[in-house]
Amino acid sequence: MGRRQLIVLGRLLLLFVMAVALQVLIVSRVSILGVTADLFLILTVIIAIGRGSMEGALFGFFAGLFAGIAFYEPLGVHCFIYTLVGYFVGMFVARVGSVTPWVVLFIAGVSSFSSQFLFGLYQYMVGPRSAFFTIVAIQILPQMVLDALITVPIFMLFVKLRLIPAPATQLTSVRSAGE
Amino acid sequence: MPRNKAAWRRAVFVVLIIASLALLTVSFRESESGPVHAVQQAGAGILSPLQSWGARAAEPFQDGYEWIRTIWSAHEEAQRLRAELQELQGEAVKLKEQAEENARLKGLLDLKEKGTFPDDTEFVVARVIGKSPTRWEAWVQIDKGSEDGVEVNQPVVGATPMASDSPSGKGLVGKVITVTASTAQVQLIIDAESSVAAKIQGSRAEGIVEGSVSGSLTMDFVDRDITVEPKRVVVTSGYGGVYPPAVPIGIVTNVGEEDVNIYKEIEVQSFVDFRVLEEVMVLLMPADDGSSSSTTTVPADVDRGGLSTSTTIRPTTSTTR
Repeated sequence: MGRRQLIVLGRLLLLFVMAVALQVLIVSRVSILGVTADLFLILTVIIAIGRGSMEGALFGFFAGLFAGIAFYEPLGVHCFIYTLVGYFVGMFVARVGSVTPWVVLFIAGVSSFSSQFLFGLYQYMVGPRSAFFTIVAIQILPQMVLDALITVPIFMLFVKLRLIPAPATQLTSVRSAGE
Repeated sequence: MPRNKAAWRRAVFVVLIIASLALLTVSFRESESGPVHAVQQAGAGILSPLQSWGARAAEPFQDGYEWIRTIWSAHEEAQRLRAELQELQGEAVKLKEQAEENARLKGLLDLKEKGTFPDDTEFVVARVIGKSPTRWEAWVQIDKGSEDGVEVNQPVVGATPMASDSPSGKGLVGKVITVTASTAQVQLIIDAESSVAAKIQGSRAEGIVEGSVSGSLTMDFVDRDITVEPKRVVVTSGYGGVYPPAVPIGIVTNVGEEDVNIYKEIEVQSFVDFRVLEEVMVLLMPADDGSSSSTTTVPADVDRGGLSTSTTIRPTTSTTR
């Protein structure tokens, strides 16, 4: 493993620790629009946009592992969902070819909706059931809006702090990856 | 080893997905003493001091947010409270009369009055250090665990500041469903899977108070023949062995009937305002003779006063939801 890869790994680990600390300590306790932001998902999306599908999937898997521990969920549920999100967001960005704040907003919104929908399916199978439109109105849509709105400034902050590559640099590397 | 980067990424993705599904399967199938649960319990144990600290660190943020949120409605609230004050002043005179009457009657009642909770009940005051992240579930995490005597299925009560539309602020919170050494998870009565055998004071109508994903409480299985009036107090009936009798739950806000339903549809507003729940009290109930009620897993249908319901077994610890 080269020095450059070690630096990337170090930054990913730093982000991961930050995500765990912030989600567990602060974010999960602050409710906006009746829901709390899912920082694990948000960072998975940002990593996938900035670093690619494999890094996104890896980050999502471990983020899901910690989410399961922190929120008393059966281990594996969030691993599965975040891994899917990380991988497909990375794939999407590699194909779409342009990463503007609006694209980040769109990706984060769709990711949050998909993640909530999958988690809803899981809950529907093993836990409480509720009318589809009720849960869309009180959980999925507010969560989608909140996650999407939070993702954009965090993404821009991370680019500014060089925790992830700037979109143009990232796009060049993704294109060269040929995926 | 895959030959190119794209194949390598796909391979990693497939491995992670398989690992996730394997973890999920093991989580559901293995016993509570299994390795995955042990890791999860250990992880939760490590995170709990952080969460406890975080609860204190987050207080200024929460207070700030609440202050900003409430300042918008402060003017409207003030007008409403002024009107309410006038109404209450009138009621206060009436209540004073009643209080004097009650004082006289209380002397007689004291002769055979028993406490709300069973004798020898011990109380453990705990701080709320975490809350459920989604509306699918309604639970809180408290900073007391098995080291403090907390066990699964112990009832939890609480007191909150009176919300604008909450009539009391004191009452039943829920029951303990998961316990670690230093923390416990409390299922709130507004959880969609919660059900509490209850009765309505005055009418003596009995039924089941159920939570919902939207956070509202409904009392079900009350016969249509029984007359139920709004503003009656709903208390636990004590059936099922989890909750002691006569613990206040909430107040009847609306009574509905449908032609196709043989039961009434009664909406109940809980006394406790779960949005601002900060401290709770776990009731360490004395064990019944010849049995250990607090550690016995009580089937959900018993908790519901004998009415069958769907039951979900959570893999983290032995709980009935």
